[in-house]
Amino acid sequence: MRRKVLRNVGVPVLSLVLLLFIWQAVIVVFHVQPYIAPRPMAAIRSVTGNWSALWPLVLGTIRETVYGFASGALLGLVLGSVMAKVPVLQRLVYPVLVLSQAVPTIALAAPLVLILGFGIGPKIVIVAWIVFFPVAVNVLDGLSHVDQDLVNLARVYGAPRWRTFLYVEVPASATPIFTGLKIGATYAVGGAIIGELFGSEGASLAIYQEHANTNFNTAAVYGTTMLMTAIGISWFLLVIGVETLATPWQRRSVARRYRWRR
Amino acid sequence: MGKTFGETAALAPVTLDVADGSFVAIVGPSGCGKSTLFNVIAGLLEPDEGEVRVGGHDVTGTTGHVGYMLQKDLLVPWRTVEDNITMAARLTRGVTPEDRAEARRVASGYGLGEFLRHYPSALSGGMRQRVALMRTLVTHQPLLLLDEPFGALDAQTRLEMQQWLLQVWRETGRTVLFITHDVDESIFLSDRILVMSPRPGRVVADLDNPLPRPRDLGTLIEPEFVTLKAQIMRLLHEGPS
Repeated sequence: MRRKVLRNVGVPVLSLVLLLFIWQAVIVVFHVQPYIAPRPMAAIRSVTGNWSALWPLVLGTIRETVYGFASGALLGLVLGSVMAKVPVLQRLVYPVLVLSQAVPTIALAAPLVLILGFGIGPKIVIVAWIVFFPVAVNVLDGLSHVDQDLVNLARVYGAPRWRTFLYVEVPASATPIFTGLKIGATYAVGGAIIGELFGSEGASLAIYQEHANTNFNTAAVYGTTMLMTAIGISWFLLVIGVETLATPWQRRSVARRYRWRR
Repeated sequence: MGKTFGETAALAPVTLDVADGSFVAIVGPSGCGKSTLFNVIAGLLEPDEGEVRVGGHDVTGTTGHVGYMLQKDLLVPWRTVEDNITMAARLTRGVTPEDRAEARRVASGYGLGEFLRHYPSALSGGMRQRVALMRTLVTHQPLLLLDEPFGALDAQTRLEMQQWLLQVWRETGRTVLFITHDVDESIFLSDRILVMSPRPGRVVADLDNPLPRPRDLGTLIEPEFVTLKAQIMRLLHEGPS
């Protein structure tokens, strides 16, 4: 067990440390000036040293990501399910979904700010816009490939369609559904940052970074980027955690003794 | 119980009457419409003509009146053995504590009590088919349709499963329709054997099985067994003429 934890956590941490080491080495070997690119420790210090000012901005970005991801995931689940169940709607809606993703996110931000203002609204919409697509496509894919013999067995039992959907088709699609959610989670923070870039009431991480850039505070630019990345990774890890808890049969051969039903 | 069907193309008009509590084997090459026949009885397919009656009720084109089991065990990997056994209840009305108690009783009674909390991935092929049959039994349907349930098992396990099935059948008094392409299996298990021919599927012979019960491995070498086997083989390979 401990070995497994070491392998699953230790190795990724090691690769991260290695990355920072290479970064440091490049700066030192090529005599890169601090205003061109900072050393890793300088970038990290720019974050830790300014934490009280940055923390509320991080919270803001997290809030946009969480709300946007939640609404996008929900929309994706519903759209994917509806398309899987109603083939006519699939042919009708699918092209629009693809079209929606062909629109560059940057081009989406400006009109959304005009429509929804400088509040959290446009950020949520952009995140949801990015997240719903991989979720919808994977849900559709998963639901369309459920073993028909299993669905027929449920029919032979006399199962109503909603029970078959809930107890057979949805759990049978768990893997693709979580794949969609993980892809969505990876891109969610990026959407929130693009939204922030186009204007916010008060401060935001994106605007903070822009100010740092204008002031030639390169360390802070890099630090903010690391912070944004950290939010994205945390969100991805959280989704993986939920997946792990929700699909115990993929790792265990015996169910835990604990059961909430009893 | 009486059943009358007609399914053009896949299945020529077939009239079939199955006595309550009997064990009927259906043997035939692939493509003879055996599974189509089952799907019509189970209600997954509408017959083009004719009707299906179970226990005197017309059930043509409706579902929820048979137990059904395939070569594929169709256990769901995300549920434990216990939860797989109670699956029909979950899919039709919700699982009650009585359903759970029954699942545990049946599993323990048939030697899988140790595995109630296991996921199906931890079980062998034979154990999985046992669970699948238990799941079929707890639906309490008087008519069980078993479509080559042991077709994917190795010979040794298959023999064990056949003997176990006979025990279950004796203890529960269900009516069984059993599809197989294994002639030995059809004779070993049944009271009556229907031989089918392909394209369009039709019943070419309806044979009574005179072998006494209870049966054991010795049954497989009795002269009557061999005679019946020869007769069925001839029907399968040369036709009824």
